[in-house]
Amino acid sequence: MAESPALRQRAGKKKATITTPEPEDLTAPYTKVTSGPKYSKKAYGIAVTVLTALAFITRFYRISHPAEVVFDEVHFGKFAAYYIQRTYFFDVHPPFAKLLFGFVGWLIGFDGEFKFENIGDDYVKNNVPYVLMRALPATLGALTVPIVFGIMQEANYGLPACVLAASWVLFDNAHIAETRLILLDACLVFSMAFSIYAYVCFMRHSKTPFTRGWWMWLMLTGLGLSSVFSTKYVGLFTYFTIGVGVLFDLWRLLDVNHGLTLPQFGKHFAARAWGLIIMPFCIYLFWFWVHFTVLSKSGPGDDFMSPEFQATLSDNPLTASSVPVYYGDVITLQHKDTKAFLHSHPGRYPLRYEDGRVSSQGQQVTGYPFDDINNHWRIHPGSPVRVAGDAILNGDLFKLEHVQTNTILLTHDVASPNYPTNQEFTTVPIVDANAGRFNDTVFELRMEKGKPGQPWRTKAGLARIVAKQYGVAMWTQNTKPLPDWGFKQQEINGNKAITQPSNIWYPASVVGPAEAERLATEPKKEVKTVPFLKKWWELQTAMIRHNNALTSEHPYASWPGSWPFLSRGVSFWTKDATREQIYLLGNPVGWIIASSTLAVYAGIALAQALTERRGVKVLSERDGRRIWEVTGFFVLAWAAHWIPFWGMGRQLFLHHYLPGHLCSSLVLGAVVEFIGSRIHEKAARIIGNGHDARKFKEEMARGVGMEEVMVTGLLGVLVWTFWWFAPVTYGTPGLDVEGVLGRKWMSTWDLHFAK
Amino acid sequence: MDFGCGPVKGKRVIIDEPSRPYNPSDPDSDTGSTMASKDAVSNKSTKSAKRSNGTTTGSVKSQSLFNMLGKDWQILGALLAVAMAVRLYKLSQPSSVVFDEVHFGGFARKYINGKFFMDVHPPLAKLLFALVGYLGGYDGEFDFKEIGKDYLSAGVPYVIMRLYPALLGVAVVPLIFLTLKASGCATTTAVLGAGFTIFENGLMTQSRHILLDSPLIFCTALTSFMWTMFERQQANAFSGRWWTFLAGTGLALGLTASIKWVGLFTIAWIGALTVHQLWNLLGDLSVSPRKWFNHFFARAICLIGIPVGFYMFMFAIHFACLTNSGDGDAFMSPEFQQTINGKAAPATAADVAFGSKVAIRHWNTNGGYLHSHPHAYPDGSKQQQITLYPHRDDNNVWEIHNETEIVLPDGSAPIYLEDKMVIKLRHILTDKRLHSHDVKAPVSEADWQHEVSAYGFPGFAGDANDFFRVEIQKDLSRGDLAKKRVRAIDTKFRLIHIMTGCALFSHKQKLPDWGFEQQEVTCAKQGTKPNSIWYIEGNENPHFGPDAETVSYRKPGFLAKFWELQKVMWTTNAGLVESHNWDSRPTSWPILKRGINFWGKDHRQIYLIGNPLVWYSTTAAILLYIAFKALIALRWQRGYTDYQHEAVRHYDWSVGTNVLGWALHYLPFFLMARQLFLHHYFPALYFGILTLCQGWDFFTKKFLGNAQARSAATILALMASAYVFSIYMPLSYGGPWTKAQCEKSKLMKTWDFDCQTFHDDMSMYLGESSSQVSVKGPVPTSTTVPSTQRQDPQVPVQQKPLAMPPVAQQPQQPSGQSPPAVVSKVEYRDQFGNILNDEQVEALKKQQNVIFETSYKTETKTRGQDQYGRVYEGEEFERIKELERMHAEQVAAGGDPSKLTFVETVQNSASEMEQSESKSRETKVVTETKKVTKTLTESSVHTETVIETEEIPEMHTETVSQTVIQGGEPEGVRGTLAEAQNPLTAEAENMPKGEKTEPHDAKMAMGGVDRQVDDAAFPEPAEGSEVPAAEETA
Repeated sequence: MAESPALRQRAGKKKATITTPEPEDLTAPYTKVTSGPKYSKKAYGIAVTVLTALAFITRFYRISHPAEVVFDEVHFGKFAAYYIQRTYFFDVHPPFAKLLFGFVGWLIGFDGEFKFENIGDDYVKNNVPYVLMRALPATLGALTVPIVFGIMQEANYGLPACVLAASWVLFDNAHIAETRLILLDACLVFSMAFSIYAYVCFMRHSKTPFTRGWWMWLMLTGLGLSSVFSTKYVGLFTYFTIGVGVLFDLWRLLDVNHGLTLPQFGKHFAARAWGLIIMPFCIYLFWFWVHFTVLSKSGPGDDFMSPEFQATLSDNPLTASSVPVYYGDVITLQHKDTKAFLHSHPGRYPLRYEDGRVSSQGQQVTGYPFDDINNHWRIHPGSPVRVAGDAILNGDLFKLEHVQTNTILLTHDVASPNYPTNQEFTTVPIVDANAGRFNDTVFELRMEKGKPGQPWRTKAGLARIVAKQYGVAMWTQNTKPLPDWGFKQQEINGNKAITQPSNIWYPASVVGPAEAERLATEPKKEVKTVPFLKKWWELQTAMIRHNNALTSEHPYASWPGSWPFLSRGVSFWTKDATREQIYLLGNPVGWIIASSTLAVYAGIALAQALTERRGVKVLSERDGRRIWEVTGFFVLAWAAHWIPFWGMGRQLFLHHYLPGHLCSSLVLGAVVEFIGSRIHEKAARIIGNGHDARKFKEEMARGVGMEEVMVTGLLGVLVWTFWWFAPVTYGTPGLDVEGVLGRKWMSTWDLHFAK
Repeated sequence: MDFGCGPVKGKRVIIDEPSRPYNPSDPDSDTGSTMASKDAVSNKSTKSAKRSNGTTTGSVKSQSLFNMLGKDWQILGALLAVAMAVRLYKLSQPSSVVFDEVHFGGFARKYINGKFFMDVHPPLAKLLFALVGYLGGYDGEFDFKEIGKDYLSAGVPYVIMRLYPALLGVAVVPLIFLTLKASGCATTTAVLGAGFTIFENGLMTQSRHILLDSPLIFCTALTSFMWTMFERQQANAFSGRWWTFLAGTGLALGLTASIKWVGLFTIAWIGALTVHQLWNLLGDLSVSPRKWFNHFFARAICLIGIPVGFYMFMFAIHFACLTNSGDGDAFMSPEFQQTINGKAAPATAADVAFGSKVAIRHWNTNGGYLHSHPHAYPDGSKQQQITLYPHRDDNNVWEIHNETEIVLPDGSAPIYLEDKMVIKLRHILTDKRLHSHDVKAPVSEADWQHEVSAYGFPGFAGDANDFFRVEIQKDLSRGDLAKKRVRAIDTKFRLIHIMTGCALFSHKQKLPDWGFEQQEVTCAKQGTKPNSIWYIEGNENPHFGPDAETVSYRKPGFLAKFWELQKVMWTTNAGLVESHNWDSRPTSWPILKRGINFWGKDHRQIYLIGNPLVWYSTTAAILLYIAFKALIALRWQRGYTDYQHEAVRHYDWSVGTNVLGWALHYLPFFLMARQLFLHHYFPALYFGILTLCQGWDFFTKKFLGNAQARSAATILALMASAYVFSIYMPLSYGGPWTKAQCEKSKLMKTWDFDCQTFHDDMSMYLGESSSQVSVKGPVPTSTTVPSTQRQDPQVPVQQKPLAMPPVAQQPQQPSGQSPPAVVSKVEYRDQFGNILNDEQVEALKKQQNVIFETSYKTETKTRGQDQYGRVYEGEEFERIKELERMHAEQVAAGGDPSKLTFVETVQNSASEMEQSESKSRETKVVTETKKVTKTLTESSVHTETVIETEEIPEMHTETVSQTVIQGGEPEGVRGTLAEAQNPLTAEAENMPKGEKTEPHDAKMAMGGVDRQVDDAAFPEPAEGSEVPAAEETA
């Protein structure tokens, strides 16, 4: 982190009662020695207008093509449809951006019937207003460009640097491809850029704290941050970036030489805590509230939630068709995770397993995922206090009779076929069960979060079924089926780790007419309510759990190290007939230059640190501080949006680097300006002598300087590559083999139609 | 952010200079020992002179060790004596293998026998164990196979081997004393540090056994000491002592890193401190750039050059010692294996032409050769399997044909195989062709992976799906000729399937049981290129004369071997992820949540647990420092002048250094996915003790005015630590204890030493001596260690061999799930070969002068069992096999799979082989196996079924098999069975992959046996880590 010399001197200053000038703020208005106020405000205005116009053109160009579902539109289009139909769904991302899509869809009259099932599904045939839905991310994507310009301008960079940084995003093929489709990243990148912009503006007001502008930008920073992490959790990286900046700023305010008393400091602290922590979090929660309010009907996401939660959704099967279970009923028992029914059939366990262990040779008890008459079990009381016809309550002891074979379920101290540590489940004839084996057949009902005496109901009654005698819970899994003798069905065994979440079963139905009768007599059930925070917490934990589980492989997944130099893209869409394809790929020249700039920055920073350490003043103090504190902040933002991905186990894609690329563009602008001004100054020193040097500088400042030349050259290359790769970005026109090969600059880019 | 920068020094006022933190190496910060010279320096430089107008208020006086008082030496001597007494007491107890001695003893044995092995740790400490053992007279016979195996009867010089880590453990005591003295602490503090080290149960327990951690901690301590001394010499840069300690630090780093890779953390620590030093020097404008570079290069040479050189030298010795083939071979590349005796592949014909019979090897993995065998895929096309198989075998041989399979007349010129040629590969033994088609791969899920099979039947000419195009990889092939046409070994090529365009591919994905856990081979349209590259290793063509040009692998040089071994160690280390009974996560270490069970027998146990007093106070001291640092940084920012106090600066700097050391030896473990143990915390604990002592020094000096009070406090603390030590002593020494005392000493519920082990009353231990060992009572560790032997060690020594094995041996199954089950049978015979029945055996057992000896014989019979449990043997079995083969062919030809399936069992019984002479045992068994293999090949039993029989029965399964066979009613036995099977499967998982040999090649089978006999892959008592095998889990 930046450690300014000013910071180091403070204590000394106080002692000596010598005051050096107040250290300047991070982004205090700053005029370069060399170029002066070269560009008028009007010039900035014109530039930003032109760039914005170009941004809209590039984003909206042929936005209706392809008129098919592309890549992850499968997910996010589907979610919008669910919002419109108000059916509950589950996803690992927070709701904000998805709500926006849903809102836009609703606004333009999309009915949500089309479910975006497969890549390549036709929009036109299905009458989906997809162009307007795509317009939302395209707009956000286009607006990102002026925001980037704004960041540079507010951080007091010259016009060339502003134009350069903004163009780097404007003419980037990856940004364009990603933001023209119904995907979350446009919203993410926009909010992330906006947060940085708001924070830079906020810092510009740091000399006038607690004024209206100060408060406004503080709040806007908070708003931007909340939008980022309400879109995707990678938003936390933005949060970290700005958090570090704020902490650094607070540390500066805490400095005794800054002159703040502790109460004053406390006020600063509280304002930031409110604006950047509490308020954003409340907004984040607000989106969840909207999410729950909109999704009031039962839908595909029900199963991810607890029965209490599901009871809050209208039309859900739990409230609609749940009936109590009584002793004497014939029921089917279903395993929650694998959806397998408890099953038995006349087959027996073989005497010896392949590894030489012996079995009881009893009747097989398996898990079977399909409806079958062999899934029927009659439930009997397992203790004399209950008789047939009584309701089954939590904590009851019961026995299960397999209806087809008239045998009783039991478990005993014999190793199960696949798990030598788990107990075998089998059945024995009723006679045996009553004589001698009785204790092996008694099971205890332990309902999940159940109260004592709570009745057991079908569908909702999640429970562990624990063998009374041995303390093992009935368990099954579907990763390792039984061998042929068990017809490849699932093994049922007794798991000693009772508390495992995979031990949960529930009665799926009561067999026979009893269910319908009971349902008819059931009092009309109302949709229940659960406190919002409780619902939110349940969803939040489920999201984190499922996010961590996303480790499956994807053919286009890539690792973070490959991103800055763009060694792999993502194939979004192809159409064989016209040889068209959309392949997510950044502007190669743009990415490589931007990434190399980071290395250049590291070199500059190192040289600056060393010379500073040796007491050699190469740069003015102001220039030195800008290197550390402004450009350094951009580098920090880049690092915060790239390095954490290294530690992630889940599958990653190139588009995860888009925020990182945006930050590297900012660094590029800053570094080019720095180099330009250094060359400038050097030239002035060489050419001019004495006071002519100043004159020369002034002249140079008015005319075309080094920066302009560099920026123009870079832009030329950038625009050309953008144009060259436009066909795979826009998905049109189709390319012949030569065309594809001509664009396959790296052998690792797996473009289609290369043969 | 370094908030600590910029303290105010003394009463000096610095306005225009960036100030620096206190640092003894900093020429500006005066400390007692360097004052004189400092002033001299300051006078020379005006800049410094300006600064030194304040006087140092030296509450901290650091003395040079070179003029340490005589009294201090006396104290040190006394401490040393106490340490010796504490650490060497009853070193010979227990007289059997403890915990990881299994590994490190085993490695010493391999060094002595010169058998190549693979371990995740660098060689230094292991080499020394071997050296000490060798000097002590250990002959490499005893195999350290399992925890609890008796040393005395085998005559192993284990006490001498243990003496070496124990003495290094003792040596840590003077080191910590001197380090603390050198860093400026009072003698009382140094005594405290030494005392805490002596009375740390964990450090002590760890240092008393043949384990790597004691040498590691010693070297870490040595590094810390050297560095502290080096820092003292900063004023006399480039003096003799300066160089000595700098080089000493480098050497100590080399030692540390050559023991365990944890030493890299020590290197990181010294590296961070060195960078800090250099940074300070850079800011000192009195140091000229030239001088600064001198500083820089001196450190680079000593702190990088010396450790790296030393580390590599250790590996040079390692390679020099291990020249023979051993169980580590399979981990290494074929080039590497060329340098191992007996593993070199013979030179093979260089040119490859149509009609050549070749063995094709996969380039990117060590999976082996393209292989097929007469077994079908259970799913997909149900055609014959194609796998990768790691050993040389006739089933690896393929004949190269052109599209039409025209056989050239003898004597005609060979047609060489050139780039882009289209070929067919015929599997000679089964007369099928390599084939691929648009069917999902057997295991891999990706839809770009297709199945590869062997397809065809006599008279069938094959189809277009058998065509593959050879694409030579010019960048990987060596030599011009090899780039043009296929040459054995030198040419690397891909095989592209003509019809689908996919490339023959393999990756580290094992097939399930039905594929014998061999590596999957697929045809991949995508996927990484290296995985689709192949080359020819064995090559033979009837058209070439005997004088045809041959090639062989090039032997790699030392650097290539060194680098390859590093890579293999790294991947193996990273792959050790399965959980272990006694492993723990880093979060649990500072709070000492759990220990490790080392050993248990005869109502005694050894359990690694720290001294809670020492342990918790170090953790507290570290937290205290962090709080102190935060507070002082905030106060500094608010303009307070704490930094003016020399003592505060000294505390901040010296404790900060040690806390950094602690953090660097602790926090990186959080990033490791592999299994971790409490003993990984010991280096961090050492820095913790240093932190504690420095803190003690600071606070006692601040709050206890006079020296007597300080001494009294120190003595109190020492007594307390000794008292706590004494409470846990029985666990550390494996001494007698009572249940009540044990229960009382459990501070945390998670301390899982088993109190039930101990007697109710101390008096019950009377009358038991180490040589008289009772056979009763369950052993607490039995969950981890399935086979603690409970035989009287004395008896076999005294009596004459007479009779037959008392126990059955059950061969291990590599995976616990392979088709053939293994049945063991116990036979008792007398010396004349008569079979004894149970009553006779019982009677004999009661007689005093009878000795039972275990011997083995592997006898293999085939037996089939269908899904209804009916058993078929002999001819009937053969008949059904025939039916099954026909059935399989029908299936392969597209027929409907019926339910006729077979499970084969292989019966195995044990008889006459001398156990004590392991060498003769090896040979004999080999012969047996050979015979068996032959018969089996003749009777054309599924080849893979026999695999399991080739393993030598192992001792540790005896308990289990005995239960199965001898236990009466199955009902009663079941519980035990279920329990007992668990460790068994766990063991099976640890089998090295070399196990699976196929009987087609008798030579290979021998190799398999050989490997098995000296394998360290046994029930994993601890760091499964140490065992390279860990291939496949159930």
